[in-house]
Amino acid sequence: MLRKRIPLLICFVFGAFGLAQYYSPHPIVVSGYSTVLDWVQIIFAFTLIVGVLSVFQIHLKKISRREKLWGYSIVTLSAIIVMASAGFLGGTGRGTAFVWMFDNMQVPMQSTVFALLAFFVATAAYRGFRLRNVEAGILLAAAIVIMLGRIPIGALISDYIPAGAEWILTVPSMSAKRAVLIGIGLGSITTALRVILGIERSYLGRG
Amino acid sequence: MDLTRIDKRIIYLLLLLAVAIPLLTKLELPVNVGPQTEKVFEAIEEIPAGSHIIVSFDIEASSLPEVQPVAEAMIRHTFGRDLRIVGLALFSEGTAIGYNMLSSIAQEFGKEYGEHYIYLGFRPQYVSAILGMGEDINSVFPLDYMNDDWTEYPAFAKVRNYSDISLVLSIADGSLPTYWVEYAGSRYHQKIVTGLTAVMATSYYPYTESGQLVGMVGGLKGAAEYEKLLGYVGGGQRGMLAQSSGHLLIILVVCIANIAAWRKRR
Repeated sequence: MLRKRIPLLICFVFGAFGLAQYYSPHPIVVSGYSTVLDWVQIIFAFTLIVGVLSVFQIHLKKISRREKLWGYSIVTLSAIIVMASAGFLGGTGRGTAFVWMFDNMQVPMQSTVFALLAFFVATAAYRGFRLRNVEAGILLAAAIVIMLGRIPIGALISDYIPAGAEWILTVPSMSAKRAVLIGIGLGSITTALRVILGIERSYLGRG
Repeated sequence: MDLTRIDKRIIYLLLLLAVAIPLLTKLELPVNVGPQTEKVFEAIEEIPAGSHIIVSFDIEASSLPEVQPVAEAMIRHTFGRDLRIVGLALFSEGTAIGYNMLSSIAQEFGKEYGEHYIYLGFRPQYVSAILGMGEDINSVFPLDYMNDDWTEYPAFAKVRNYSDISLVLSIADGSLPTYWVEYAGSRYHQKIVTGLTAVMATSYYPYTESGQLVGMVGGLKGAAEYEKLLGYVGGGQRGMLAQSSGHLLIILVVCIANIAAWRKRR
């Protein structure tokens, strides 16, 4: 019983405090709020440690059981050990081994993977943008205007193209985006209230 | 040849050529400055010299090639205006990127660490970090990136919270500017601008139109516009031809596929 009630009580107290402090400039409330923010940072730092341990646990299990693609687990763990050792032993300032590996290995590798998206986008556009009905036609026209509007050649063809692109982004696209954001906002408030009031308890787990 | 079924490897090759060849040429395209970029430029122009601004490197290494020209142009502008920069990172990968970028541009402008800029490094859990800085920046970042007490630098000793910060500039490739708006903007009335990837720019129009974000510099095009305002040619303007030919190729293959499909149906 206590295993459930104590977390629910903690959640209610901190949730209610978080809500109330927004409306109170009293020094005690402000100081309590700053302390809570410090606690959040400390708790999050511990979750990073838990995360790293969890990664080690999963990959060590994969390696010991010789599961599919277990060789990549060795690469993953080695990379974590090498980067962490370089950071702890040599520091993370300019000219250190840590920064050298970051600049010359991590940045180019991640940028390469990100750049590959351009190729997938090109083939996906070729296959997907088909003029099958009116809706698809509107989507296709909007895409072409935006793509031309985002490059200088668009303005060279006509001043209406960048203006049209800006209109699409600031009127129809933004209206839809705002509707989604308002929906998300209302959903977030509802979920937060459900958690604070103890109606939503999935974070407690099954126990 | 069935043009509705072009081998994807041909499209890959064409795109590679469309992007690579223009990068080898020195041809520059004329750039028109858009309203969003102009708003950011004006916001920085209006800040009195000697004021403090936060530059937050909320980026990952993967988007660096696109975001770097944006960030460099904006930082050059702030150093050129004699503003004092408080650099920090809310993504761990942004830490080294931010420090390297700030210190190399500072060197270019003859700016000194501790006098014109400081770098506070990384703090996890961005929501509490953003909120915490609204109360006391020193409690969130007691030491700087070099593990020194940054409040000992006279030029930064009086910086306590957002009330001493004229502007927050979030260099981002994701949703971090949203958190700056929601927590630093709405709660502490902090002015915020962002420089980000083009793909994320569409997400921020609701915030710029409502005034919650002063403005944004989006992608390579935004960088090119900013460089034009500053009067130099950097990565943004150099990349415009490559981006233009890439976009034109995609439009071309989409048109080819549609015309071929239409002819096939007839």
